Amino acid sequence: MKKTNFVLISLIILPILTWSTKIHAHGSKINYRETKAIEIQATYDDGTPMANAQIVIYAPNNRNIPWMKAQTDAEGKFTFIPNEEIDGNWDVKVRQSGHGDIISIPVSDRENLQTQIITSNFEYNPMQKLVMTVASVWGFVGTALFFSRRKS
Amino acid sequence: MRKKVLLRSILALSIPIYFLGGCHKRIQDTSEKGELSLIANGEDFIKEGFVAKDGWRVDFTKVNVTVDKITAYQTDPPFNAEKDEKMVISAKTVLLDAPTTVNLAADNRILVARVEASPGFYNALSWQMATAGPAENNTILLAGKAEKHRRKINFAIALKKPVQYTCGEFVGEDRKGFLTPRDKADLEITFHFDHLFGDGEKSPDDKINLTALGFAPFANLAENGAIKADMTTLKNKFSAREYQKLERSLTSLGHVGEGHCAKQGNF
Repeated sequence: MKKTNFVLISLIILPILTWSTKIHAHGSKINYRETKAIEIQATYDDGTPMANAQIVIYAPNNRNIPWMKAQTDAEGKFTFIPNEEIDGNWDVKVRQSGHGDIISIPVSDRENLQTQIITSNFEYNPMQKLVMTVASVWGFVGTALFFSRRKS
Repeated sequence: MRKKVLLRSILALSIPIYFLGGCHKRIQDTSEKGELSLIANGEDFIKEGFVAKDGWRVDFTKVNVTVDKITAYQTDPPFNAEKDEKMVISAKTVLLDAPTTVNLAADNRILVARVEASPGFYNALSWQMATAGPAENNTILLAGKAEKHRRKINFAIALKKPVQYTCGEFVGEDRKGFLTPRDKADLEITFHFDHLFGDGEKSPDDKINLTALGFAPFANLAENGAIKADMTTLKNKFSAREYQKLERSLTSLGHVGEGHCAKQGNF
Protein backbone atom coordinates (compact mmCIF):
# COMPACT_ATOMS: atom_id res chain seq x y z
CA MET A 1 0.00 0.00 0.00
CA LYS A 2 2.60 2.53 1.02
CA LYS A 3 5.82 2.59 -0.85
CA THR A 4 8.97 4.53 -1.14
CA ASN A 5 11.80 2.71 -2.76
CA PHE A 6 12.23 1.34 -6.18
CA VAL A 7 12.48 -2.38 -6.44
CA LEU A 8 15.22 -3.81 -8.52
CA ILE A 9 15.00 -7.32 -9.81
CA SER A 10 17.99 -8.87 -11.46
CA LEU A 11 18.11 -12.19 -13.15
CA ILE A 12 20.67 -14.89 -13.61
CA ILE A 13 19.97 -17.89 -15.77
CA LEU A 14 21.73 -20.81 -14.16
CA PRO A 15 22.53 -24.21 -15.62
CA ILE A 16 21.27 -26.74 -13.10
CA LEU A 17 22.25 -30.37 -12.99
CA THR A 18 19.32 -32.36 -11.75
CA TRP A 19 20.39 -35.69 -10.30
CA SER A 20 18.37 -38.77 -9.74
CA THR A 21 19.82 -41.95 -8.30
CA LYS A 22 18.69 -45.53 -8.59
CA ILE A 23 20.14 -48.15 -6.26
CA HIS A 24 20.25 -51.73 -7.49
CA ALA A 25 21.16 -54.88 -5.57
CA HIS A 26 24.70 -54.98 -6.86
CA GLY A 27 25.64 -51.53 -8.01
CA SER A 28 24.19 -48.18 -8.69
CA LYS A 29 22.93 -46.11 -11.55
CA ILE A 30 23.10 -42.37 -11.67
CA ASN A 31 21.15 -40.28 -14.14
CA TYR A 32 21.32 -36.57 -14.66
CA ARG A 33 19.55 -34.02 -16.70
CA GLU A 34 20.83 -30.54 -17.48
CA THR A 35 18.28 -27.79 -17.45
CA LYS A 36 18.16 -24.05 -16.95
CA ALA A 37 16.99 -22.22 -13.87
CA ILE A 38 16.26 -18.54 -13.35
CA GLU A 39 17.53 -16.82 -10.26
CA ILE A 40 15.71 -13.70 -9.09
CA GLN A 41 17.55 -11.11 -7.03
CA ALA A 42 15.20 -8.50 -5.56
CA THR A 43 16.58 -5.40 -3.86
CA TYR A 44 15.41 -1.93 -2.96
CA ASP A 45 16.99 0.93 -4.83
CA ASP A 46 19.57 1.41 -2.06
CA GLY A 47 20.74 -2.18 -2.55
CA THR A 48 19.01 -3.66 0.51
CA PRO A 49 17.81 -7.19 -0.29
CA MET A 50 14.05 -7.75 -0.24
CA ALA A 51 14.29 -10.59 2.26
CA ASN A 52 11.29 -12.95 2.56
CA ALA A 53 9.40 -10.98 -0.09
CA GLN A 54 6.35 -12.46 -1.81
CA ILE A 55 7.12 -13.97 -5.22
CA VAL A 56 4.37 -14.68 -7.75
CA ILE A 57 5.26 -16.31 -11.07
CA TYR A 58 2.96 -16.33 -14.11
CA ALA A 59 3.50 -18.76 -16.99
CA PRO A 60 3.22 -17.47 -20.58
CA ASN A 61 0.18 -19.62 -21.33
CA ASN A 62 -1.87 -18.19 -18.47
CA ARG A 63 -0.65 -14.75 -17.49
CA ASN A 64 -3.58 -14.01 -15.24
CA ILE A 65 -3.34 -16.99 -12.88
CA PRO A 66 -0.26 -17.57 -10.69
CA TRP A 67 1.86 -20.54 -11.77
CA MET A 68 3.78 -20.49 -8.52
CA LYS A 69 3.85 -18.52 -5.26
CA ALA A 70 6.95 -18.45 -3.09
CA GLN A 71 9.23 -16.22 -1.02
CA THR A 72 12.69 -14.84 -1.49
CA ASP A 73 15.41 -15.93 0.92
CA ALA A 74 17.28 -13.69 3.36
CA GLU A 75 19.36 -12.30 0.47
CA GLY A 76 16.30 -11.47 -1.62
CA LYS A 77 16.97 -14.40 -3.94
CA PHE A 78 14.71 -17.03 -5.40
CA THR A 79 15.42 -19.66 -8.04
CA PHE A 80 12.90 -21.46 -10.20
CA ILE A 81 12.94 -23.74 -13.23
CA PRO A 82 10.36 -22.76 -15.87
CA ASN A 83 8.30 -25.56 -17.39
CA GLU A 84 10.26 -26.56 -20.50
CA GLU A 85 7.09 -27.12 -22.44
CA ILE A 86 5.92 -23.52 -22.09
CA ASP A 87 7.88 -21.01 -24.15
CA GLY A 88 7.32 -17.28 -23.95
CA ASN A 89 7.47 -14.52 -21.38
CA TRP A 90 7.51 -15.71 -17.79
CA ASP A 91 6.35 -12.86 -15.56
CA VAL A 92 7.73 -12.56 -12.04
CA LYS A 93 6.16 -10.24 -9.47
CA VAL A 94 7.95 -9.38 -6.23
CA ARG A 95 6.15 -7.53 -3.41
CA GLN A 96 6.94 -6.55 0.13
CA SER A 97 5.31 -4.04 2.47
CA GLY A 98 3.81 -1.98 -0.30
CA HIS A 99 6.86 -2.10 -2.55
CA GLY A 100 6.55 -4.09 -5.72
CA ASP A 101 7.72 -4.69 -9.24
CA ILE A 102 7.01 -7.09 -12.05
CA ILE A 103 9.36 -8.20 -14.80
CA SER A 104 8.96 -10.29 -17.91
CA ILE A 105 11.58 -12.93 -18.68
CA PRO A 106 11.62 -14.32 -22.24
CA VAL A 107 12.25 -18.06 -22.11
CA SER A 108 12.63 -20.09 -25.27
CA ASP A 109 14.82 -23.15 -25.69
CA ARG A 110 12.91 -24.60 -28.59
CA GLU A 111 13.28 -22.10 -31.37
CA ASN A 112 12.22 -24.54 -34.07
CA LEU A 113 8.93 -25.28 -32.34
CA GLN A 114 8.33 -21.58 -31.79
CA THR A 115 8.82 -20.92 -35.48
CA GLN A 116 6.32 -23.64 -36.23
CA ILE A 117 3.74 -22.09 -33.95
CA ILE A 118 4.18 -18.69 -35.53
CA THR A 119 3.77 -20.23 -38.97
CA SER A 120 0.51 -21.87 -37.94
CA ASN A 121 -0.84 -18.46 -36.99
CA PHE A 122 0.11 -16.95 -40.33
CA GLU A 123 -2.72 -15.03 -41.97
CA TYR A 124 -3.08 -15.06 -45.78
CA ASN A 125 -3.39 -11.81 -47.68
CA PRO A 126 -6.51 -11.10 -49.85
CA MET A 127 -4.79 -12.07 -53.14
CA GLN A 128 -3.63 -15.39 -51.69
CA LYS A 129 -7.15 -16.03 -50.41
CA LEU A 130 -8.63 -15.26 -53.87
CA VAL A 131 -6.22 -17.63 -55.64
CA MET A 132 -6.93 -20.36 -53.09
CA THR A 133 -10.69 -19.89 -53.43
CA VAL A 134 -10.60 -20.00 -57.26
CA ALA A 135 -8.42 -23.11 -57.14
CA SER A 136 -10.77 -24.76 -54.67
CA VAL A 137 -13.87 -23.90 -56.72
CA TRP A 138 -12.25 -25.24 -59.87
CA GLY A 139 -11.33 -28.43 -58.02
CA PHE A 140 -14.86 -29.05 -56.80
CA VAL A 141 -16.45 -28.23 -60.17
CA GLY A 142 -13.95 -30.54 -61.86
CA THR A 143 -14.76 -33.32 -59.39
CA ALA A 144 -18.47 -32.85 -59.96
CA LEU A 145 -17.99 -32.94 -63.75
CA PHE A 146 -15.89 -36.10 -63.44
CA PHE A 147 -18.62 -37.99 -61.58
CA SER A 148 -21.32 -36.60 -63.89
CA ARG A 149 -19.62 -37.64 -67.15
CA ARG A 150 -21.56 -39.84 -69.56
CA LYS A 151 -20.59 -43.48 -69.65
CA SER A 152 -19.18 -44.38 -73.01
CA MET B 1 -27.82 -33.55 -66.94
CA ARG B 2 -26.66 -29.96 -66.64
CA LYS B 3 -28.97 -29.59 -63.66
CA LYS B 4 -27.29 -32.56 -61.99
CA VAL B 5 -23.84 -31.09 -62.59
CA LEU B 6 -24.99 -27.76 -61.24
CA LEU B 7 -26.57 -29.37 -58.17
CA ARG B 8 -23.46 -31.41 -57.39
CA SER B 9 -21.24 -28.36 -57.88
CA ILE B 10 -23.35 -26.36 -55.45
CA LEU B 11 -23.25 -29.17 -52.89
CA ALA B 12 -19.50 -29.52 -53.29
CA LEU B 13 -19.04 -25.77 -52.89
CA SER B 14 -21.29 -25.50 -49.89
CA ILE B 15 -18.83 -27.47 -47.71
CA PRO B 16 -15.81 -25.11 -48.06
CA ILE B 17 -18.10 -22.08 -47.94
CA TYR B 18 -19.52 -23.33 -44.64
CA PHE B 19 -16.04 -23.67 -43.15
CA LEU B 20 -14.83 -20.39 -44.59
CA GLY B 21 -17.88 -18.73 -43.08
CA GLY B 22 -17.08 -20.29 -39.74
CA CYS B 23 -13.51 -19.00 -39.85
CA HIS B 24 -14.74 -15.55 -40.76
CA LYS B 25 -17.09 -15.57 -37.80
CA ARG B 26 -14.26 -16.55 -35.45
CA ILE B 27 -12.10 -13.70 -36.75
CA GLN B 28 -14.97 -11.29 -36.13
CA ASP B 29 -15.33 -12.56 -32.57
CA THR B 30 -11.71 -11.81 -31.71
CA SER B 31 -12.08 -8.27 -33.03
CA GLU B 32 -15.10 -7.57 -30.84
CA LYS B 33 -14.48 -5.02 -28.16
CA GLY B 34 -14.65 -5.11 -24.40
CA GLU B 35 -15.03 -2.47 -21.72
CA LEU B 36 -11.94 -0.92 -20.17
CA SER B 37 -12.27 1.20 -17.04
CA LEU B 38 -9.83 3.46 -15.27
CA ILE B 39 -9.95 3.71 -11.49
CA ALA B 40 -8.27 6.35 -9.32
CA ASN B 41 -7.22 5.19 -5.87
CA GLY B 42 -5.97 7.34 -2.98
CA GLU B 43 -5.52 4.27 -0.79
CA ASP B 44 -6.43 4.07 2.89
CA PHE B 45 -4.26 7.11 3.64
CA ILE B 46 -6.88 9.32 2.06
CA LYS B 47 -10.04 7.40 2.80
CA GLU B 48 -9.32 6.61 6.45
CA GLY B 49 -6.82 9.32 7.38
CA PHE B 50 -3.38 8.73 8.83
CA VAL B 51 -0.66 9.98 11.16
CA ALA B 52 1.99 11.97 9.32
CA LYS B 53 5.69 11.49 10.02
CA ASP B 54 5.65 14.42 12.49
CA GLY B 55 2.76 13.12 14.58
CA TRP B 56 -0.09 15.12 13.03
CA ARG B 57 -3.26 13.10 12.66
CA VAL B 58 -4.71 14.09 9.26
CA ASP B 59 -8.24 13.39 8.03
CA PHE B 60 -9.58 14.52 4.69
CA THR B 61 -13.02 15.68 3.67
CA LYS B 62 -11.90 16.39 0.12
CA VAL B 63 -8.92 15.40 -2.01
CA ASN B 64 -9.64 16.70 -5.47
CA VAL B 65 -7.14 15.59 -8.08
CA THR B 66 -7.34 16.57 -11.72
CA VAL B 67 -6.16 14.08 -14.31
CA ASP B 68 -6.00 14.31 -18.09
CA LYS B 69 -4.77 12.63 -21.30
CA ILE B 70 -4.93 9.06 -20.09
CA THR B 71 -4.02 6.34 -22.59
CA ALA B 72 -3.68 2.60 -22.03
CA TYR B 73 -1.17 0.63 -24.12
CA GLN B 74 -0.46 -2.93 -25.08
CA THR B 75 3.32 -3.16 -25.19
CA ASP B 76 5.66 -5.94 -26.25
CA PRO B 77 8.21 -6.26 -24.79
CA PRO B 78 6.41 -5.13 -21.64
CA PHE B 79 7.26 -1.50 -20.91
CA ASN B 80 9.43 -1.00 -17.84
CA ALA B 81 9.09 2.54 -16.48
CA GLU B 82 12.24 2.24 -14.39
CA LYS B 83 14.43 1.69 -17.42
CA ASP B 84 15.15 4.43 -19.87
CA GLU B 85 13.53 2.62 -22.76
CA LYS B 86 11.10 3.43 -25.53
CA MET B 87 7.62 1.97 -25.33
CA VAL B 88 6.94 -0.55 -28.14
CA ILE B 89 3.20 -0.26 -28.68
CA SER B 90 1.05 -2.86 -30.41
CA ALA B 91 -2.30 -1.26 -29.54
CA LYS B 92 -3.59 1.66 -27.54
CA THR B 93 -6.86 3.01 -26.19
CA VAL B 94 -7.55 6.60 -25.16
CA LEU B 95 -9.33 6.52 -21.83
CA LEU B 96 -9.58 10.25 -21.16
CA ASP B 97 -8.80 13.29 -23.29
CA ALA B 98 -10.12 16.17 -21.19
CA PRO B 99 -9.26 17.37 -17.69
CA THR B 100 -11.34 15.53 -15.11
CA THR B 101 -11.40 16.14 -11.38
CA VAL B 102 -12.08 13.31 -8.95
CA ASN B 103 -12.43 13.35 -5.15
CA LEU B 104 -10.18 10.60 -3.81
CA ALA B 105 -11.66 10.99 -0.32
CA ALA B 106 -15.04 9.79 -1.57
CA ASP B 107 -13.98 6.17 -1.97
CA ASN B 108 -10.97 3.92 -2.46
CA ARG B 109 -11.89 3.24 -6.05
CA ILE B 110 -13.11 6.22 -8.05
CA LEU B 111 -14.22 5.60 -11.62
CA VAL B 112 -12.46 8.08 -13.90
CA ALA B 113 -13.31 6.69 -17.32
CA ARG B 114 -14.99 3.74 -19.01
CA VAL B 115 -14.56 3.12 -22.73
CA GLU B 116 -14.89 0.42 -25.36
CA ALA B 117 -11.51 -1.06 -26.15
CA SER B 118 -9.92 -3.72 -28.31
CA PRO B 119 -9.11 -6.95 -26.48
CA GLY B 120 -5.59 -7.61 -25.27
CA PHE B 121 -3.30 -7.12 -22.32
CA TYR B 122 -2.99 -3.45 -21.38
CA ASN B 123 0.34 -3.40 -19.58
CA ALA B 124 1.29 0.29 -19.78
CA LEU B 125 -0.37 3.62 -19.10
CA SER B 126 0.39 7.27 -19.66
CA TRP B 127 -1.46 10.05 -17.85
CA GLN B 128 -1.18 13.56 -16.55
CA MET B 129 -1.83 15.23 -13.25
CA ALA B 130 -3.07 18.49 -14.68
CA THR B 131 -4.87 21.71 -13.89
CA ALA B 132 -8.63 21.62 -14.24
CA GLY B 133 -8.67 24.33 -16.88
CA PRO B 134 -7.51 27.88 -17.48
CA ALA B 135 -9.62 29.20 -14.61
CA GLU B 136 -8.34 26.68 -12.08
CA ASN B 137 -4.95 27.18 -10.60
CA ASN B 138 -4.37 23.83 -8.95
CA THR B 139 -3.87 20.16 -9.66
CA ILE B 140 -4.71 18.99 -6.14
CA LEU B 141 -7.05 20.49 -3.57
CA LEU B 142 -6.70 19.10 -0.03
CA ALA B 143 -9.35 19.89 2.58
CA GLY B 144 -9.87 18.43 6.02
CA LYS B 145 -8.72 18.68 9.61
CA ALA B 146 -5.50 17.88 11.43
CA GLU B 147 -4.84 17.36 15.11
CA LYS B 148 -1.79 17.04 17.33
CA HIS B 149 -1.57 17.39 21.11
CA ARG B 150 -5.15 18.76 21.21
CA ARG B 151 -4.30 21.45 18.69
CA LYS B 152 -6.84 21.30 15.89
CA ILE B 153 -6.50 22.85 12.46
CA ASN B 154 -8.85 23.01 9.50
CA PHE B 155 -7.04 23.16 6.21
CA ALA B 156 -7.71 23.94 2.55
CA ILE B 157 -4.55 23.66 0.52
CA ALA B 158 -4.43 24.13 -3.26
CA LEU B 159 -1.37 22.55 -4.86
CA LYS B 160 -0.21 23.05 -8.43
CA LYS B 161 2.28 20.65 -9.90
CA PRO B 162 1.44 19.30 -13.38
CA VAL B 163 3.20 16.01 -14.02
CA GLN B 164 3.30 13.65 -16.99
CA TYR B 165 3.50 9.99 -15.90
CA THR B 166 4.45 7.02 -18.04
CA CYS B 167 3.92 3.72 -16.27
CA GLY B 168 4.32 0.01 -16.86
CA GLU B 169 1.99 -2.70 -15.64
CA PHE B 170 -0.12 -2.27 -12.51
CA VAL B 171 1.55 -4.03 -9.57
CA GLY B 172 -0.71 -5.27 -6.78
CA GLU B 173 -2.36 -8.34 -5.34
CA ASP B 174 -3.97 -9.20 -8.68
CA ARG B 175 -2.93 -8.41 -12.23
CA LYS B 176 -4.99 -5.89 -14.16
CA GLY B 177 -5.49 -5.01 -17.80
CA PHE B 178 -6.45 -8.36 -19.38
CA LEU B 179 -9.38 -7.54 -21.65
CA THR B 180 -11.23 -10.26 -23.57
CA PRO B 181 -14.00 -9.66 -26.15
CA ARG B 182 -17.34 -8.62 -24.64
CA ASP B 183 -15.78 -8.64 -21.18
CA LYS B 184 -14.61 -6.00 -18.70
CA ALA B 185 -11.20 -5.08 -17.30
CA ASP B 186 -9.85 -2.19 -15.31
CA LEU B 187 -6.63 -0.29 -14.80
CA GLU B 188 -5.68 1.91 -11.89
CA ILE B 189 -3.79 5.09 -11.16
CA THR B 190 -2.74 5.22 -7.53
CA PHE B 191 -1.80 8.24 -5.44
CA HIS B 192 0.72 7.70 -2.64
CA PHE B 193 0.18 10.58 -0.26
CA ASP B 194 2.66 9.13 2.21
CA HIS B 195 5.25 10.51 -0.22
CA LEU B 196 4.02 13.98 0.74
CA PHE B 197 3.24 13.63 4.44
CA GLY B 198 5.37 10.67 5.50
CA ASP B 199 4.16 7.79 7.63
CA GLY B 200 4.02 8.03 11.42
CA GLU B 201 3.85 4.26 11.68
CA LYS B 202 7.31 3.93 10.19
CA SER B 203 10.69 4.74 11.64
CA PRO B 204 11.91 8.34 11.29
CA ASP B 205 14.87 6.83 9.45
CA ASP B 206 12.67 5.10 6.91
CA LYS B 207 13.33 6.49 3.46
CA ILE B 208 9.74 7.59 3.04
CA ASN B 209 10.06 9.80 6.13
CA LEU B 210 13.45 11.15 5.12
CA THR B 211 12.15 12.36 1.77
CA ALA B 212 8.55 13.37 2.64
CA LEU B 213 7.69 16.93 3.63
CA GLY B 214 5.34 16.05 6.51
CA PHE B 215 2.40 18.10 7.79
CA ALA B 216 4.25 20.34 10.26
CA PRO B 217 5.36 22.92 7.63
CA PHE B 218 1.68 23.38 6.69
CA ALA B 219 0.62 23.55 10.36
CA ASN B 220 3.11 26.35 10.91
CA LEU B 221 1.09 28.50 8.51
CA ALA B 222 -2.16 28.18 10.49
CA GLU B 223 -3.92 31.32 11.65
CA ASN B 224 -6.91 31.14 14.00
CA GLY B 225 -6.96 27.36 13.68
CA ALA B 226 -7.08 27.33 9.90
CA ILE B 227 -4.77 26.97 6.94
CA LYS B 228 -5.73 28.42 3.59
CA ALA B 229 -2.87 28.27 1.14
CA ASP B 230 -1.96 27.90 -2.50
CA MET B 231 1.39 27.38 -4.21
CA THR B 232 2.20 31.08 -4.20
CA THR B 233 1.62 31.26 -0.43
CA LEU B 234 3.66 28.13 0.13
CA LYS B 235 6.52 29.36 -2.02
CA ASN B 236 6.62 32.61 -0.05
CA LYS B 237 6.32 31.09 3.42
CA PHE B 238 8.13 27.75 3.16
CA SER B 239 11.90 27.62 3.39
CA ALA B 240 13.64 26.87 0.10
CA ARG B 241 14.33 23.32 1.31
CA GLU B 242 10.70 22.76 2.33
CA TYR B 243 9.40 24.05 -0.99
CA GLN B 244 11.85 21.84 -2.87
CA LYS B 245 10.65 18.84 -0.85
CA LEU B 246 7.06 19.79 -1.57
CA GLU B 247 7.65 19.90 -5.32
CA ARG B 248 9.57 16.63 -5.29
CA SER B 249 6.91 14.91 -3.16
CA LEU B 250 4.09 16.07 -5.43
CA THR B 251 5.92 14.76 -8.48
CA SER B 252 6.27 11.32 -6.89
CA LEU B 253 2.58 10.89 -5.97
CA GLY B 254 1.52 9.03 -9.13
CA HIS B 255 1.83 5.24 -9.36
CA VAL B 256 0.08 2.22 -10.83
CA GLY B 257 -0.62 0.20 -7.70
CA GLU B 258 2.85 -0.39 -6.29
CA GLY B 259 4.40 0.07 -9.71
CA HIS B 260 6.45 3.19 -10.29
CA CYS B 261 6.11 5.58 -13.20
CA ALA B 262 8.56 7.65 -15.19
CA LYS B 263 7.85 11.32 -14.47
CA GLN B 264 8.16 14.51 -16.37
CA GLY B 265 7.32 17.61 -14.36
CA ASN B 266 6.00 20.91 -15.73
CA PHE B 267 5.43 19.33 -19.13
